[in-house]
Amino acid sequence: MKKRIELTINGEHYEFNVEPWRTLVEVIREEAGLTGAKESCGTGECGNCLVILDGKPVNSCLVLAVDANGKDILTIEGVAEGEKLHPLQKAFVDHGAIQCGFCTPGMILAAKSFLEKNPKPTRMETKEAMEGVLCRCTGYVRILDAVLAASQEMMQENKTATKGGK
Amino acid sequence: MNSSDLRYLMNLPKFEYFEPKTIEEACSLLHKYKGDAMVLAGGTDLLVSMKKREISPKYLVNIKTIPDLNYIRYNGEGLLQIGALATLNEIKDAKIVKEKFPLVAEAAEKSGLPTTRNVATMAGNLCNALPAADSAPLLICLGAKVKIQGVEGSRTMLVEDFFVDSKVNALQNGEMVTEIQVPVLPDNSAGVYLKNPERSVTDVAVVSVGTVITMDAKRAKVVDAKIVLGATAPTPMRAHKAENTIKGKTLDQELIEKAALAASKEAKPRTRPDYKRELVRVLTIRAIKQATI
Ligand SMILES: Cc1cc2nc3c(=O)[nH]c(=O)nc-3n(C[C@H](O)[C@H](O)[C@H](O)COP(=O)(O)OP(=O)(O)OC[C@H]3O[C@@H](n4cnc5c(N)ncnc54)[C@H](O)[C@@H]3O)c2cc1C
Ligand code: FES
Ligand code: FES
Repeated sequence: MKKRIELTINGEHYEFNVEPWRTLVEVIREEAGLTGAKESCGTGECGNCLVILDGKPVNSCLVLAVDANGKDILTIEGVAEGEKLHPLQKAFVDHGAIQCGFCTPGMILAAKSFLEKNPKPTRMETKEAMEGVLCRCTGYVRILDAVLAASQEMMQENKTATKGGK
Repeated sequence: MNSSDLRYLMNLPKFEYFEPKTIEEACSLLHKYKGDAMVLAGGTDLLVSMKKREISPKYLVNIKTIPDLNYIRYNGEGLLQIGALATLNEIKDAKIVKEKFPLVAEAAEKSGLPTTRNVATMAGNLCNALPAADSAPLLICLGAKVKIQGVEGSRTMLVEDFFVDSKVNALQNGEMVTEIQVPVLPDNSAGVYLKNPERSVTDVAVVSVGTVITMDAKRAKVVDAKIVLGATAPTPMRAHKAENTIKGKTLDQELIEKAALAASKEAKPRTRPDYKRELVRVLTIRAIKQATI
């Protein structure tokens, strides 16, 4: 039996009729048509399906869509502001942290929610926080470089923003 | 072409789905559908087993729709109460846990990845009843209990007794776990949880050792010792002989090695026994030392 659910994805309101056995990543990709989140292992190990659900990074392959009813979701499509890339996205480009790009959405979302909690992390802390996302092209060094560079950039932006606000 | 034709990935088998609003409603659903219904909490064990077709329950009872199961609180009388829906990250980050129950925070942190911990519950980790369940050893050392609710009332049980066999817990038909209760650590006590491999993204622990040791006020003699081995028997197990080796004694290198050897002999690994026993020995030495420096 299908159930009616309402989701807010990247600030937009969606309504779907879904069977209870559909996972969130399936609904985001196949119903909402947002293909940034990838389903790869399907068992919580790779983090390629990572989305931010009510402020927390989760593997959307292990969340029932019906369970996300009424919740707020951020996918990689909602990270840039129009044409303006998020500092993390820019840093990934600048540091060559993208090879095939398959893991990039999960990496950027994991890094984004981590930096919001810990804006000035060490390399080791960053490694531990990102351990749930795997890169099959194994470009981890550049990914870490990019995240740490973005954290600097974001701190600068915040400083300017606070100054400007005064 | 239908979108499902395009999918070659693991999808979930079909099931009927319930969203109970109360504990009583959940228990009566579980009771009504006997072995055909399963509780869904964080889903990080359950949905994986379903995708792999290891299990195909006809009914899923999602307890996340029960409002009063998500809490972490101190009752003021020496007991930490963790609701069945508290996630591992919520437990790890809770102020009261960090301040008064650091070993519970350690147990939560070591039971998964940063992302799975955002949905996975500690109650689910225990209910799943794997011999390698990472939250179990320290909870057993601490003398933690689970509160169980059924159609006919509630009962509490030591976590130690809750593990019955590999993947078998002590729940009867129509019962669910509603709370984990952890007594506060006695004075002069410390503990640690060590697993091998230390950090593993996807593999479960090959062997793990949890210990809590209480010293006398002068820190000269061991007053009490709990040593629990994970992944070395069908359930997490107390290493009683090892515990008794050090109880009432003054620790030195020789005694610690004796206790560790006893633990390695008590372990009942079904696979790779020599390797696992050696790991038990080495980890037990390290654990006792780390808990008593
Ligand atoms: C990528 C990945 C990494 C992992 N790493 C670790 C790890 O390092 N260490 C570790 O120990 N585990 C690990 N796990 C396993 C899992 O995440 C944990 O066991 C988790 O704590 C299970 O909790 P859950 O809420 O997701 O349980 P669920 O999957 O919802 O449930 C697990 C089982 O318990 C039952 N159940 C759940 N709650 C209740 C309840 N209140 N009453 C009665 N029955 C209940 C369910 O019916 C089911 O049989 C990992 C899993 C994944 C996917
Ligand atoms: S597809 Fe979800 S974690 Fe791999
Ligand atoms: S860039 Fe290819 S998987 Fe990471």
